[in-house]
Amino acid sequence: MSNIKYLLLVSRQGKVRLMQWYTPLTPKQKTKIINDLTPLILARKPKMCNILEYNDHKVVYRRYASLYFICGITNEQDNELLTLEIIHRFVETMDTYFGNVCELDIIFHFDKAYDILNELIMCDGSMAESSKKEILNNVHAMDAIESNDHLDRILS
Amino acid sequence: MVASSLRSFIKDVRGAKTLADERSIITKQSAKIRTKLRDDHLSNEKKRVNIQKLLYLYILGEKTHFGQVESINLIASDNFVDKRLGYLATILLLDESQDLLTLLTNMLNNDLQHPNKYIVALALNTLGCLSSTELARDLYPDVENILQTSNDPYLLRKALQCNAKLIFKDRSLLEIFPLSIISSKLLENPIVCTHGVLLGVCKVLQAIFISLDNTLQKENGKGDTEDESTEQDLQQDITIIRTISDLIPQLSTRLSSLNSKNLEPAYDVQGIQDPFLQCELIVTLKWFFKIGNHLNLDEITQYNNNFNDLLTQLATNTSAAKNPGNAILYEVTKSIFELKLTQPLRVLGINILANFLTPSKNSNTGNNVKYVGLNTLIKVVPEEPASVQRYRKFISQCLYDYDISIKFRALGLTFAIMNEQNLTELTTELVKFLGEISKSHYSYVTSYIDMDDSKDLIVYTVDNLLKKFEIYSNGDEKAKLDTLLTILKISGTFIDLEKTNEFLIALNNMDDMKYKIATFSKELTQILDPKIKANTLIGNASLDLVMIWCIGEYTDLIKLDSSTDKKIVNDNSIVKYLSDLNDKYRLSHDTRMVHYILTAALKLSSKITNGQCVENLRQIIVSHSKDANLMLQTKSVQYELLFNQPDAVKKLFLQAMPKFEKKLINATSVQRHNTTISKAQNQNNDLLLDLLTDTVEKTSPSEVLKPVETKQRDIIADLLASTGNKSQHTGETSTSIPIEVVTLPSDAVSIHDGVELQVYEKTIDISPGLAHLELYIQPKNSKISDIQPLCAVPKTQKLTLSQLRPSNNLDVGKFVKQTLKITGSGKLKLRIKLSFQKDENPASESEQFDYKLDKTI
Repeated sequence: MSNIKYLLLVSRQGKVRLMQWYTPLTPKQKTKIINDLTPLILARKPKMCNILEYNDHKVVYRRYASLYFICGITNEQDNELLTLEIIHRFVETMDTYFGNVCELDIIFHFDKAYDILNELIMCDGSMAESSKKEILNNVHAMDAIESNDHLDRILS
Repeated sequence: MVASSLRSFIKDVRGAKTLADERSIITKQSAKIRTKLRDDHLSNEKKRVNIQKLLYLYILGEKTHFGQVESINLIASDNFVDKRLGYLATILLLDESQDLLTLLTNMLNNDLQHPNKYIVALALNTLGCLSSTELARDLYPDVENILQTSNDPYLLRKALQCNAKLIFKDRSLLEIFPLSIISSKLLENPIVCTHGVLLGVCKVLQAIFISLDNTLQKENGKGDTEDESTEQDLQQDITIIRTISDLIPQLSTRLSSLNSKNLEPAYDVQGIQDPFLQCELIVTLKWFFKIGNHLNLDEITQYNNNFNDLLTQLATNTSAAKNPGNAILYEVTKSIFELKLTQPLRVLGINILANFLTPSKNSNTGNNVKYVGLNTLIKVVPEEPASVQRYRKFISQCLYDYDISIKFRALGLTFAIMNEQNLTELTTELVKFLGEISKSHYSYVTSYIDMDDSKDLIVYTVDNLLKKFEIYSNGDEKAKLDTLLTILKISGTFIDLEKTNEFLIALNNMDDMKYKIATFSKELTQILDPKIKANTLIGNASLDLVMIWCIGEYTDLIKLDSSTDKKIVNDNSIVKYLSDLNDKYRLSHDTRMVHYILTAALKLSSKITNGQCVENLRQIIVSHSKDANLMLQTKSVQYELLFNQPDAVKKLFLQAMPKFEKKLINATSVQRHNTTISKAQNQNNDLLLDLLTDTVEKTSPSEVLKPVETKQRDIIADLLASTGNKSQHTGETSTSIPIEVVTLPSDAVSIHDGVELQVYEKTIDISPGLAHLELYIQPKNSKISDIQPLCAVPKTQKLTLSQLRPSNNLDVGKFVKQTLKITGSGKLKLRIKLSFQKDENPASESEQFDYKLDKTI
C-alpha cells in the first residue's frame, strides 16, 4: 500500500522545485528534512541504490536529468520498488502534458505540476489513479473550463 | 499580464547574481504580496497573481502564513479558475493541525454538492488532505452522498479515497458507512469499476482494517482489565469484517486476472499490467487474512488455501525482468512472511528474494532490488534459516557491490547465517572481503567508497567475526589462529586497541600450543629477517601489539621450537626489535603501546640469558622513568625494581599468563542485553514502578541490581547501604561461599506456579512494624541461572532483600532462598518479579506475580 509522507523535487544545485507534504509537520521539521536530505542525495553516485534510511523512515529517490524526485515513505507499509514506479508515473504524465518536460517547465508552471500530482496521489499519500490517460484527460478538462472562464469574462 | 508577472518574478529570482540579491528580491516581493493581499478591493485576477507568487515563495521555503486566509477566500469565488488556485493554495499552505480549517467547512460543504464534477473533485481532494476530526464528522454525509448517488468513476474514486481518510480520522464513522455499496454498486458494475475506483476500494478496506487493528492492539495492551467500550468496538468491528469478507473472492479474481492478462495499454507498465493496483490488492487481501486468522473467523479462514494458491500463481507468473514485476514479487514475499504462511510458500519467498540478489545485468534498478532483497532476508532468516543458507554464494557476491548500504546488509546477513558448519567457508570469504576493503581504503584516490565508510565496514566485520569465534570456540583452532593473524595483517590499522585485547585473549586461550608457537615463530622470522626487514616498522599498531605480547609470553618457547631459524630469531634480534618498537611508539606518544612494551621487556628479561641483551631490556624500561605520563613513569620505576630482583623471584612474578575467563566478553554483552531489556520492562511495568516509592531514577532497581563483577557488586552494595536504599541485593559467586543446601520447610505455602518457576513463601515472624518472610524459588523444568529477584511493597512500607542462598544458579528441583524484611505499616502486599536465564541462554526471561498476605503490620 502506498503511504507516501512527502514528495520533493530538488535540482542538481540543491534548489527545491516542488514540494508536497502528506503528513502534518511543523515548518521547522520540513526545513530540517529538506536540509538533511538534499546534500545526502546529491552526493550519491549513480551506481548506488535509490533507497536510503533517514531518521525513522526510508527515502526513495530517482534522478531525471537535473532533477531529483525524492519520496519519504512509511516503513513496513510502503513498497520501495513500487514507490519508484509511482515517481516514474508522475514523470511520464508530466512528460506527456508538457511535451518532453524539462526543469524549466516545472519551475514556471509549478501549478500545473501540482495539478497533475494531485490527480495521481491523494490524501495521505496514496496512489489514486494509475492510468496516465485518465489523469491527462481530467487535467485537460479542467484547463478547458479555466480558459472558458477567461473567454466568458472577455465576452461579457 | 497575469502569467508574465509571475513569470518575471520567477525570472528575477533566478537571475539574481548573488545570494544577497536574491534575498532582497524575495523580501521585497514578499512585503508587496502581503500589502496587496490585505487590500479588499483587489480584483480576483490580481489576487490570483499574488497567490501564485506566494506559492512560488512557498516552494522557495519562505514564510507564507499571511496568505492562508486569502487562499481560502479565493475558494469562495464562483469562477473555476479562482477555485482551482484557491484549493491548490489551501492544500499547500495549510495543514491538518490548523484552526483556520473551520473556515473551510462551509465552502467545502457547498462545493461537495456542486453540479460541476471537477469542483466536487477539488473539494474532495482538499478534504482528503486537510481533514481534522471535526471536518471529518461534519462533511462525512456529503461524501457518502456522492458515493450513493454518483455513477462517475472519476468522482467515485475521489470520494472513496477521501472516505478512507475520514474513517481513518474518526473510526466511529465506520458504524454508518454503507458497506454494501462496495459490492453491490462498485465491484459488480464493470463500467463504474475502473482501476482508479478499485484503488479507492482498497484504500477504504485498508482504512477499516487499520482501525480494527488499532482496536485489537488496544485490547491487547489493556490485558485483563475489562474495558467495555473497547470490547463493544471490537464486536462491532468483527461484524463489519464478517460483512466484507464476501469481497475476498471478488478481489482475488480481479487480482488473478490482472496478473495473467495484459490487455489495456493505459495501465501497462513495462509489460506488467497495473502493478500499482496489483500491489494494493495484495496488501488488502493480506489485511483480510491477517485479521481473519488473528480472530479465527471462519468467513475468512475458509479462503486461506485459495489465497496461498493465488500467491503462488503471482510468484510464478510475474516476470522478474523489470522493476514493476519485482515490486509485485516483493509484495508477495512481504505477505508470505507477515502472515507466516506454510513452509513451501516461505521457501518460495526466500527463492524470490534470493533471485533479487542477482538481478540481470542490464537493469539499471538492480541495486534497489538487491537492497530490498537483503533487507527482507535479514528479517526472515530466523524463520527459514536453511533455505537462506543455500544462497550463501549470492550473498557473498553482494559484499562486493558498489553500494555501501548493500555491502553492510550483505555483511549483516552473512553473520546472521553463520554457523558451525559454514564458519570456515564464510570466514574465508570475509577475510577476502576485508582485504579488498582495506586495499580500497588506502587507494582512496581511485576508491569509490568513502574512507569513513570503509573503516566502519572493517570495524563491523572484525567485531562480529570475533563474536562468532567466541560462540563457536570449539572449532578448528589452527584455522582460527590463521584467520585472526590475517585479519590483523590486512586491517589492523582500523582495529582499535580495545578490540586487539580480544584478539590477545583469543590467542592466549588457544589450546594448541605447538601450532601457536610454530606460527609465531614463522611470523617473527618474517619480521626479523634482514632481507625483508624494510617492512618491520611500518607494521600496524594492532599487529605490533600482538607481536610485542607474544615476545613477552612465548620467546622461550619460540626459541625451543624446532622450526625456528636461530640465525634470524635470537635474543639479539628480538631485543633489537623490541627496542625499535619502543622508539617508534615513544616518538608517536602512543602510551598504551608503551605499556605493553614495558611489560614485554620485563617478561623477556627472565627468558633470555645474554647479558648485553638483558641490559638493553633494562634500558627500554629505564627510558621511561622520566616519562611525562605519570602512569608510564610509575610503571617504569616499579618494573625497574622488579627487574633487579634475583631470577627466582622474578620468575615467580613473570609466569606465563593463565587462561582468561571467556565469560568476560559474554558477560558484558549479556549485561548490555539485560539492561536494555530491563529498561523496556521498566517502562511497561509502571504498576511495579508505582508501587515502588518515588521517581524512576531512584527506582530502577533492575539496573542497579545487575552488576557485572563481584567487585562492582560490593561497591554498589556499599552505596546502597550508605544511602539507606530499601532494596538491597548482593549477588554471590558460587566460589566465595561454601555451598549449602536449602530445603523447603514443611509449613511453606505455594504462592506462584509459573511456567519456569515455582515459588513458596514462609512467614517467619510478623510483629507491628516489622515482618520477616522467606521466599523459596524452585525451577520446574530447566536449569536456571542468574536469578534476579525484584520486589515491591506499598509506599507505606520499606523492604530489605538479603542475599540469595545458596547461589543464583540452580538445577531443576533445587531451592533457592530469599529473605525479605519489611518495615513500616499497612497491609502486607508484594509484587515480585523474577528475571533469570534459562539453560544458560543469554536472553533473560522473567515471571511476575502478586502476593497478598492477610496480615497487617
